[in-house]
Amino acid sequence: MKISIEWLREYLELPETPQKLKDDLSMIGLLVEGVEDAYGTTVLEVEVTSNRPDCLSHIGVARELAALYRRPLRLPGAGRPPGLASDRIPCAVEVRDPELCPRYTALVLDGVRVGESPDWMQRRLLAAGMRPLNTVVDITNYVLLETGHPLHAFDYDVLRGGRIVVARAHSGQRMRTLDGVERELDESMLLVNDGEGPVAIAGVMGGMESEISSSTGRVLLESAYFQPASVRRTSKKLGLSTEASYRFERGADWDNTVPSIGRACRLIEELAGGRLASSLQDVYPVRKEPVSITLRQSSAAAMIGVPLEREFIESTLGRLHFSLQDAGDDAWTVTCPTYRADMEMEADLVEELARFYGYQNIPTTLPPSRSAGRHSPVYALENRIREILVGLGYSEAVNLSFAEESDAEAFAAGTDQRIRLRNPLTEDTQYMRTALAPGLVRAAKRNFNFDRRIVRLFEIGKVYRRGPGGEPTERNMLGILGTGGHMDPNWKQPKPEFDFFHLKGAVEALLGGLRAFPYEIVRGDAGWLSPADAAELRIGTDRAGVLGSLSTAIGETYKLRQPVFLAEIEFEGLARRAFQPIRFESLPKYPIAERDISIVVDRDLAYREIQRSIADLGIAELVKVGLVDVYEGKNIPAGKVSLAIRLAFLDREQTLTVERVQESVDAIVQCLYKNYGAERRSL
Amino acid sequence: MRASIDELHRRFSEDFATISDMETWKSVRDRFLAREGGAITSEMKRLRDIPSQDRPAFGQAMNRLRASVEAKLEEKMSELKAATAAAHQALDVTRPGFPYALGSSHPIKRLQAEIEQIFVNLGFCVFDLPEIERDYYNFEALNMPRNHPARDAQDTFYLDDTMLLRTHCTSVDVHAMEALQPPIRAVSTGKVYRRDPFDATHSPMFYQIDVVVIEEGITMGDMKGMLEAFLKQVFHPGIRMRLRPGFFPFVEPGAEVDISCIFCGGGGCSKCKQSGWIEILGAGMCHPKVLRMSGIDDSRYSGFAWGMGIDRVAILKYGVEDIRLFFESDLRFLKQF
Repeated sequence: MKISIEWLREYLELPETPQKLKDDLSMIGLLVEGVEDAYGTTVLEVEVTSNRPDCLSHIGVARELAALYRRPLRLPGAGRPPGLASDRIPCAVEVRDPELCPRYTALVLDGVRVGESPDWMQRRLLAAGMRPLNTVVDITNYVLLETGHPLHAFDYDVLRGGRIVVARAHSGQRMRTLDGVERELDESMLLVNDGEGPVAIAGVMGGMESEISSSTGRVLLESAYFQPASVRRTSKKLGLSTEASYRFERGADWDNTVPSIGRACRLIEELAGGRLASSLQDVYPVRKEPVSITLRQSSAAAMIGVPLEREFIESTLGRLHFSLQDAGDDAWTVTCPTYRADMEMEADLVEELARFYGYQNIPTTLPPSRSAGRHSPVYALENRIREILVGLGYSEAVNLSFAEESDAEAFAAGTDQRIRLRNPLTEDTQYMRTALAPGLVRAAKRNFNFDRRIVRLFEIGKVYRRGPGGEPTERNMLGILGTGGHMDPNWKQPKPEFDFFHLKGAVEALLGGLRAFPYEIVRGDAGWLSPADAAELRIGTDRAGVLGSLSTAIGETYKLRQPVFLAEIEFEGLARRAFQPIRFESLPKYPIAERDISIVVDRDLAYREIQRSIADLGIAELVKVGLVDVYEGKNIPAGKVSLAIRLAFLDREQTLTVERVQESVDAIVQCLYKNYGAERRSL
Repeated sequence: MRASIDELHRRFSEDFATISDMETWKSVRDRFLAREGGAITSEMKRLRDIPSQDRPAFGQAMNRLRASVEAKLEEKMSELKAATAAAHQALDVTRPGFPYALGSSHPIKRLQAEIEQIFVNLGFCVFDLPEIERDYYNFEALNMPRNHPARDAQDTFYLDDTMLLRTHCTSVDVHAMEALQPPIRAVSTGKVYRRDPFDATHSPMFYQIDVVVIEEGITMGDMKGMLEAFLKQVFHPGIRMRLRPGFFPFVEPGAEVDISCIFCGGGGCSKCKQSGWIEILGAGMCHPKVLRMSGIDDSRYSGFAWGMGIDRVAILKYGVEDIRLFFESDLRFLKQF
């Protein structure tokens, strides 16, 4: 809300500089976002929170300053007493929905000459950000900016039947509003009708037909109080927010309908030659009582945390126009001004006291802690994963939780369980993601576009799906992506290509670091991974994730031009097995004996089979089996591969004899020969 | 006789001085000590021609000379060997080291973890809450019924009439009150969503942290104390804090919290629009209605709550000028953290 300092000075002494006013207003809750000179005055851009519609006017802001600086407030006189009105022109008002329109006040003026409003008024409107139109409209806007109460002026001669009927719209009813737009109405909306049809959408905008024009001679002024929720609903539905609806939906002052209409009436008489021609119509079937609240000195002090003097409480609230009645026991019955739409309970009064005590004057204290803190169950897991993967050279990404239609197509994710937003921002963000892979692939692609071919990323985040009963579910996932290189090219390793085993190694290092045992990585399948290396991670007996290279089809869709390796791991699977207790094993007293064997086997024999066969021999002293070389090509028959396997033997009780080790090696070689026809190759 | 020995010694000293490598060392050695034709060897062979009474003296002098020459050459040899070895093994230590590269943790996620740790230290319980939330927890139970104007400030993504993407983590207030009995100290962090198109200062997805404390006798002074303790840990022990009245439907009294500008220290600069203060979070005393709705006796318990954007902290701490960078996974950005 733009507030003119020159205008404020009409209501109270204000020698303060704009900067001082800015600081002081901000500290009582009216944040001043900017100060600028415009139209011969200094304008404060005041951010008024939605609970304080009473401050959406110059008088409202003046009231706060008067209370703060302890100065008297000079308000403009109200209009002529309604009793003195004449009855030359009939003005009948009927309110059919008093719930949505608790009060409707109207009067008619005749002899109005619509022209340009005086210069001082135009300047004040402009300074407050409103465009001057003509005397009558300017006066209603002026009173709005002055008192905060929205008024509307109708061309009386256009109103059919010379009467006003406030009622809900019929479904399918239409009307053209002042902005020239044809609006479709429904039963939830409240209308102001004349004898035959709608002339305004109550509290939102007037109709075009009854607009004030240069030929208008008789004016019907409306000053009403409309139910906030109803105005808000209508304004939202129509996508139409106006100065009037903005105030009504936050709560206008039902006691201000008469003073405001009187003020406007007097200004029209003074500036546009009108004369009051009707009696004041004030339809107000159920009198709304001001809110009254019990305030206890002790609870106010306890909430703020400082002792509050009786005198301070009475004087502060008194300056803010609350009236206090002693209710004994250090309590008061406080009657609130009707413009304070935010007053409901004691806490609201406590805020008034805190505001004027000064938040900055409340001493800080630290409540003693009565319990030990506790992290969320995923905290340790997430942090450890981050630590390990960052150590392995992967950078953490946070991608948007949204997904595109094409993600589901490309990644063949279950489209039926996808969660769709009812009001997405764009087509590209209409679904919640069901997987991390698409976001990571797009992230890689984005980096390729910046000429970075080596990308190693991971992301810990949620994926979203509908559960069996259609209810939305969320699961934490870990996604890892590697492509282009497992490290930066360097003089020792000019082409450190990233391949499947780098990804697998990272996953294994991660699982080891998390102590998530036992796990195994076996051949698997996932539509979006290449059949050549799609693998499945099992932790315990659970399928906990997949890894492999992105299928060529998707690679082409995203125009990747280089292989991309991805893993997706379920958090739940990790969480169940991670952090297994550490059990110390005493250090061996005897040396380890290592032997390498080299065998030639079929190319498609899985290494895991060999491991298993060796393990099945049950050689107690065999503590480690490692694959140290793989060779195919020259000297190796086609379809065969040569493997160098390193065996480590240890007897915890005694030094192993050469003979015992050789026995074991022979047994292993024989077994592999028997099972797979493995030929021993001399090293 | 004496003269010839001195002459030999002089010649050796001269030649010795010219030794610079193995080649020259060998030629000097051969020149003096070679079995055939070495100057000292030849001289020794002349022993027979020396009168017998002079022989012992000559022999001793020659042996001393020979021993001294051999020792010098020996020493020189060690020197040369050491020098050669050093020359062979010397590394160019200015070449780049092996590029072990650490990755980087995401600035927001790292802050999130740091902040959670601060609160655990202060005795808080961390809640991991759903991002897809009921309207009730996100709005209704926080005193924002349907058609409440405050909902305007948080344009919301809806799944349907009752489910939405949470617009803040403030739902922790309600979940904590439902799950725990006072004294309650709860905190929740995570992704939140608002229907704001992307620009430099807006993102439809960002990160928040929300805090709630409900105990007997909690005051605004306690809220200030806890806020100060927290903000000093997150930013800098030297920052100052300022509370202004503010409005959030779920608190009363409500407060806007500013910190002294971390760029200029409070003197005024373009980042703080010359005010010396930067708005950092919203706070307040738990609204009695919110307490009652979740079954807390508001005549006995009071509390406070606050909420803050983690991205905002990251933007301020690291001087990031565009919020979009956090969610674009651009390694040129990520690698800076």
